[in-house]
Amino acid sequence: MKQDSILLFFCLLAITATIVFVWVFRSSIKAEERTPGIKNALQKRFWFLLILVVVFGIFASVTLPKSPYFAFAEEVPAKVIHVAALQFSFFLSEKSIDPKSPSGDNIELPLNKVVEFRVTSLDVNHGFAIYNPQMRIVTQTQAMPGYINRLRYKFTKPGIYHVLCLEYCGVGHPVMQTTFIVK
Amino acid sequence: MESLKLKKITALWVITILVLFLAAIVLGILMRLNQAEVINQEPLTFYTNMTTHGLTMIGIWFVAGMAAVNYLLQRYVKTSYTANLFAFILTVLGVVLLWLCTYLGKFNTGWTFLYPLPFKDLGAAPWATPLFLVALTILGLGWLVWSVSMMAKILQRYTLAQAFAWQHLSKQPKSETPPFILITMITLVGVIAALIAAVIVIVLFFAEYFSKGSFVNDALLMKNLIYFFGHTIANEMLYLGVAVIYEIFGELSGRPKWKTTWYVSLAWNSALIFILTAFFHHLYMDFVQPEGLQIIGQLASYLASLPSVAVTVFSIIVAIYGVRIQWSITNCLFFLGVIGWVIGGLGAVIDATISNNIVLHNTLWVPAHFHTYNAMGNVLFSLGFFYWFTTQHVSKLVISKLTKFALIVLIISGIGFLMAFYIGGADSIPRRYSTYPEALTTGPALARMGAYFACLYLLVILMFFYNIAKRCFAILSAPSSSVGA
Amino acid sequence: MLRHFICTLFFSWSLIVFGYGAPANLDEEQNIYAQIYNAPIKLSPTQAQVSLADIYNRKPMLLAFVFTRCTGVCSPFLLQLNETLRQISGKYLYQVVVLSFDPRDDVEAMQSLSTRLHLEKSTQWIFATTDSITALNLSLGFDPIWDSSTNQFDHEALLVGVNTQGYITKKLLGIRGDLELRQMLASINNAYIPSYRLPADNDLFSCFTYDPTTGKNIPNLGLLIIALPALVSFLLLVCIAFFSRNKAAKWTE
Repeated sequence: MKQDSILLFFCLLAITATIVFVWVFRSSIKAEERTPGIKNALQKRFWFLLILVVVFGIFASVTLPKSPYFAFAEEVPAKVIHVAALQFSFFLSEKSIDPKSPSGDNIELPLNKVVEFRVTSLDVNHGFAIYNPQMRIVTQTQAMPGYINRLRYKFTKPGIYHVLCLEYCGVGHPVMQTTFIVK
Repeated sequence: MESLKLKKITALWVITILVLFLAAIVLGILMRLNQAEVINQEPLTFYTNMTTHGLTMIGIWFVAGMAAVNYLLQRYVKTSYTANLFAFILTVLGVVLLWLCTYLGKFNTGWTFLYPLPFKDLGAAPWATPLFLVALTILGLGWLVWSVSMMAKILQRYTLAQAFAWQHLSKQPKSETPPFILITMITLVGVIAALIAAVIVIVLFFAEYFSKGSFVNDALLMKNLIYFFGHTIANEMLYLGVAVIYEIFGELSGRPKWKTTWYVSLAWNSALIFILTAFFHHLYMDFVQPEGLQIIGQLASYLASLPSVAVTVFSIIVAIYGVRIQWSITNCLFFLGVIGWVIGGLGAVIDATISNNIVLHNTLWVPAHFHTYNAMGNVLFSLGFFYWFTTQHVSKLVISKLTKFALIVLIISGIGFLMAFYIGGADSIPRRYSTYPEALTTGPALARMGAYFACLYLLVILMFFYNIAKRCFAILSAPSSSVGA
Repeated sequence: MLRHFICTLFFSWSLIVFGYGAPANLDEEQNIYAQIYNAPIKLSPTQAQVSLADIYNRKPMLLAFVFTRCTGVCSPFLLQLNETLRQISGKYLYQVVVLSFDPRDDVEAMQSLSTRLHLEKSTQWIFATTDSITALNLSLGFDPIWDSSTNQFDHEALLVGVNTQGYITKKLLGIRGDLELRQMLASINNAYIPSYRLPADNDLFSCFTYDPTTGKNIPNLGLLIIALPALVSFLLLVCIAFFSRNKAAKWTE
């Protein structure tokens, strides 16, 4: 999963940073009285900054194109699911949802085909996070009143998917969930 | 005489902050215990605790930074005692009103109070929402007056260009700006911008409240403004702590004071600009926000933090590496705090990357990284300052065996408490859940781990509290003659 | 530049204040991304029938439904559509197919309708009839009801956007403004809009309006409000610096 590699990457970075700091600290503890410290610190700082900027520049240019806003933008979705979030439940329907009397259906989605969710909220801000059968987030968007967010995704594994609310919406926030089937 | 007054008010700030800190930690532990199913609170209780915890923590560590900076600023300019006192009174009043809102009125929107949640039925008293807005107004007013007054005092002594250390960008600067002044100025501008955003949010909330439906707000605009305020103030409070490090790390180590150079000036000036657009990263999952702003959000998040962190880290490494310095409790806390800041910053940069945010947004990864640079970063900066402030002398800051032990416990508790968050984040456990649905199997166990390590953290803080508060009371009760100017 | 910006701001503000976008009809969300029924259509009395797919495969299509004997919305609908489309000079390809949903209409009637509208020579406008209107209506969720007392169909003006693969990308009911029409042109050209705003009546300060023609968001008053804190604080900074200047000079003396 993507999350595991993120955690691993973070741990590696954190450990590296810690090692550097511990090493610097030990060098201070062990140092003799009246040592001059680092020579040419100014030049080194410059290179340090430059390298960091370049590394982050590369990082940004690699990650930015992977942004989700235009995922599957070129494709025509096989199915459109309308989503209305309301304290504290989700309504999923293949037809558009009447805000005055929202109702939902049991949803079954096709495998390996692009599906579009049109997500909105009928009251406050909600989240719309899709969890795979192993309960890991695969994609998400926010449900904002007054706006419709279009979230496209291609499910590649069959099973029961959970939808959880990821924006605090009131005391019922943790029970706000629904499921759908992919097969 | 003036300096004694300043010392007393600063001592008052320190005690108030620490008392509120202990209370807020307890609230945090209660939340984790509830998620762990060790205790069983009503959701309403959990969420009022959560709201109080968040608001209190942001508030106190912001004023901690402000109080410290105000105290040290006295070395360069004469600051206004009245503004300081005014801010103190309004802060106490504001916090009391906030706690009334949450505990008597059951106000529970979380510190983000995302529009239109405060206007919906929260299970709260009908007066809770207007009182909350009034409390925010009081806090905002106090802090705005305080920051503007400090900024005005700096600008009486330094020209605009000097205050931002622009002369250091040229080869041979004619005058010198201490890094403390530079960072304080940069931070104050950001703080003022954040507070103005808060003012606009409050006005828009009140406009809708009083118009009774003839005017409604736009949810996207309100979300942008709320995070402009919330993110920026949470970010700037870290910089207040960093300014303190720049000022006293050198003299505490028995080394020369840190100087402003062209890259220090450049790094902090870039932080000034980029920090004002970094808040867009809170709206990555709002696809309604134009893509251009999202990209600005990601780049600004990097550019606001990266140069300032890099320059600070390098300054501290240069100050320490291969140099025998006096390691006092303050220095140790500063050093540990910088490590926490850097590691939390790494977690933040990972989350501020849009393609990662889609699986991390509003999971426990978020509290993971901000607790890293707050509980193990900014808090330690401030505690370091509190120690130094209450003794005013390096010889009284020597590390005893007990302190050394406490610091080790602090590190262990920090790692344990934070890892529970990070693993939870990677495991897609949502934040702000009072209890976890059955399907999220690892949630409760991680919460238990987090709660127990946080108890350990609380113990260490209690010890620090005892040491610091004891001396603060001595300062407060000292007759004007015995505490030197 | 500044003037242009202010004009845009004012313009977009007035759009919102005067409730430009009519409230979205829920029926418009039905049948989106369904395949349109590939009906055989007749374009002229002399030519043989062609399939609808032959038309939309060539170019994305706006499909307008009318009947020639209509005394109500049909004529103003087509006039307005023609007028609005002429005003929109965009990058998007389109053609307009005007189809009769009245089985009594023949090709000649449709041709005279095109002459009445001065569109008989236009290459972008096609007037046609079909003998499979029931199946076509079904695939669109369109349901005109015959009212024998008035001798008219009880119906709404329907415009359907169809892309070159024959998918219904957007529907508009009633005579609509250019903004929504541009959104439709974008959608039939498969331009993807990650999000859109629902119309609100009493909402003054929204941040953006999406302009599908350019693919850009037009700033609204709300955006200015987002920028306001930064602007005000910088202004404040300069003001304070200006008024403290005299005192600063004294310090350096």
